[in-house]
Amino acid sequence: MKLNVKKLDVSINNNHILKKVDIHIKNKEFIGIIGPNGSGKSTFLKCVYRVLKKYNGDIRLDGKDISEYSVKKTAKMMSVVSQHNDSQFDFSVLDIVMLGRSPYKKFLERDNKVDYDIVYESLEKVGMKNFADRSYLTLSGGEKQRIILARSLAQKTKCLILDEPTNHLDIKHKLQIMGIVKKLDITVISAIHDLNTAALYCDKIYALKSGTVIAYGTPDEVLTEKLIRDLYGVNCKVVQDEDLGALNIIYKPL
Amino acid sequence: MSKVNISNLKKIILKEKTSYIIFSITLLVILVFSFLHSITFGTVDISVKEIYSIIAYNVIGIEGIDNLSRAIIDIVWIIRLPRLVLAIVVGAGLATCGVVMQAIVKNPLADPYILGISSGASLGATLAIMLGIGRKLGSNYVGISAFGMAFIVSIVVITLANIKGKANSTKLLLSGMAISTLCSSFSSFIIYTSSNREGMRDVAFWLMGSFSGAKWENLIVVVPFVLLATIFFTTQHRALNLMLLGDDVSITLGKNLHSYRQLYLLITSIVIGFLVYNSGIIGFVGLIIPHISRLLFGTDHKKIILISALMGSILLIWADVISRLIIKGSEIPVGIVIALIGAPAFVYLMINRNYGFGGEK
Repeated sequence: MKLNVKKLDVSINNNHILKKVDIHIKNKEFIGIIGPNGSGKSTFLKCVYRVLKKYNGDIRLDGKDISEYSVKKTAKMMSVVSQHNDSQFDFSVLDIVMLGRSPYKKFLERDNKVDYDIVYESLEKVGMKNFADRSYLTLSGGEKQRIILARSLAQKTKCLILDEPTNHLDIKHKLQIMGIVKKLDITVISAIHDLNTAALYCDKIYALKSGTVIAYGTPDEVLTEKLIRDLYGVNCKVVQDEDLGALNIIYKPL
Repeated sequence: MSKVNISNLKKIILKEKTSYIIFSITLLVILVFSFLHSITFGTVDISVKEIYSIIAYNVIGIEGIDNLSRAIIDIVWIIRLPRLVLAIVVGAGLATCGVVMQAIVKNPLADPYILGISSGASLGATLAIMLGIGRKLGSNYVGISAFGMAFIVSIVVITLANIKGKANSTKLLLSGMAISTLCSSFSSFIIYTSSNREGMRDVAFWLMGSFSGAKWENLIVVVPFVLLATIFFTTQHRALNLMLLGDDVSITLGKNLHSYRQLYLLITSIVIGFLVYNSGIIGFVGLIIPHISRLLFGTDHKKIILISALMGSILLIWADVISRLIIKGSEIPVGIVIALIGAPAFVYLMINRNYGFGGEK
């Protein structure tokens, strides 16, 4: 699935949050969006996943304007894992993941064998297949996010949007979630705070600062000492690790 | 390896489904039993055989009541039976609306009256009883006035919540509280400035709820409506589940809940209005029954709507029996009985069972 965003402009209560943002994402690309808090990452993603409707500009999914799709249709094209997924009510894991099938359901249609197979497959992919009858609220933070990821997988979409889903997870769970997502081989658009993680998984990175794209390219191109200083006001050293071939960013204390 | 596990998942699903079906059938049997049994309770002694022959005569026209007095036939057919049917309908309606309302406002503490419907109804009843407003509307002008005010209040609350952007659960709750307080203070003002002592007692009795006003001509409207509403909401289990996850998540799962919420609010308002018209305000059922269902079957609305409706009916049948029998020759408001049974049961659930009232255990 490809996504083309042109001149996206968003103001909320006189705050100019996004300023004519252009973002283009090709099929099966893993795109990271970095930037400090309040730079407009979430706002951008919310426009794309249709929670924010008051924007100026042009958002096209596979060439067609997003407002021409029904929400049911877009739920079959892209799924979302966001930061907060808490409810006051306690569902079982099975109930939660089964809701991922709801875009495919017509009025009065029941869950069938295909749905159960997909739910199982999704739980298996995130390594939670034995948790089906557990209650969601008793799970740990990392487990919860994996269940929400499983729900997204049950939507069988060609695009996955991650809105800082690994924010409060420890390093193992963070890598676990990103690893699962990377293996899916679909279009992924992810807001990321941790630059090392971004370097590890992203094909391309957009850097947002105060609602403007200030850099775009591969992790090597974007994650430079100068850009990180411009973006976050933090001094650091960027090292290419010879053994792992990975980019490593070492921060200097402020 | 994976094959073993997928059958494991199926086993879980099958187990849940079977226990749900068995439990619903059990509840249905209990409901039928309660119905047949509770009709024999009353201040006038009428034999079981007489009761059933009267029902059989009226429903399917079987002869055999020639030797019974007119008074006994009337007691069974005009007093006891409609009252019982009303209890069943009110129980089912309140429990269903409780489940739905908790989903609409995304709050486990909500009950069917949360959006100010009960205060609206009380104001309507107070206006009618104390000031005689709407006396021209016939013998049940108190009920009609209560229904009218309840409905107006829910429409006002929904409209208020929709001002400046679409209604969400918080805005609904807050505008419900505001309007509710407004109505209560109007009622208090009227009662405080009035010297009509008998009227005060009437208002109090009316507010605590009773099935004594049951009439066939009203039931003919209420029964089908509540039944249809309950069936409708069982078909809406996916939207109701999504409501608990919130509007944003629902959009990403293909449902814009706004229009669903408006429709559900309208239906519950009409149902509650009807119930208030027939039986006054009966608290607690719509709050506690949904929680008991969740305790037993989780949060999935596919299951808990029907379970709640059945349990609500059973509870109200027996609460009504107790309210008629507890003081000989007199009747206490059924709302008092419910609170007396309900509150301790609620506390029991809270401390004894590992239940988080919708939230974390």
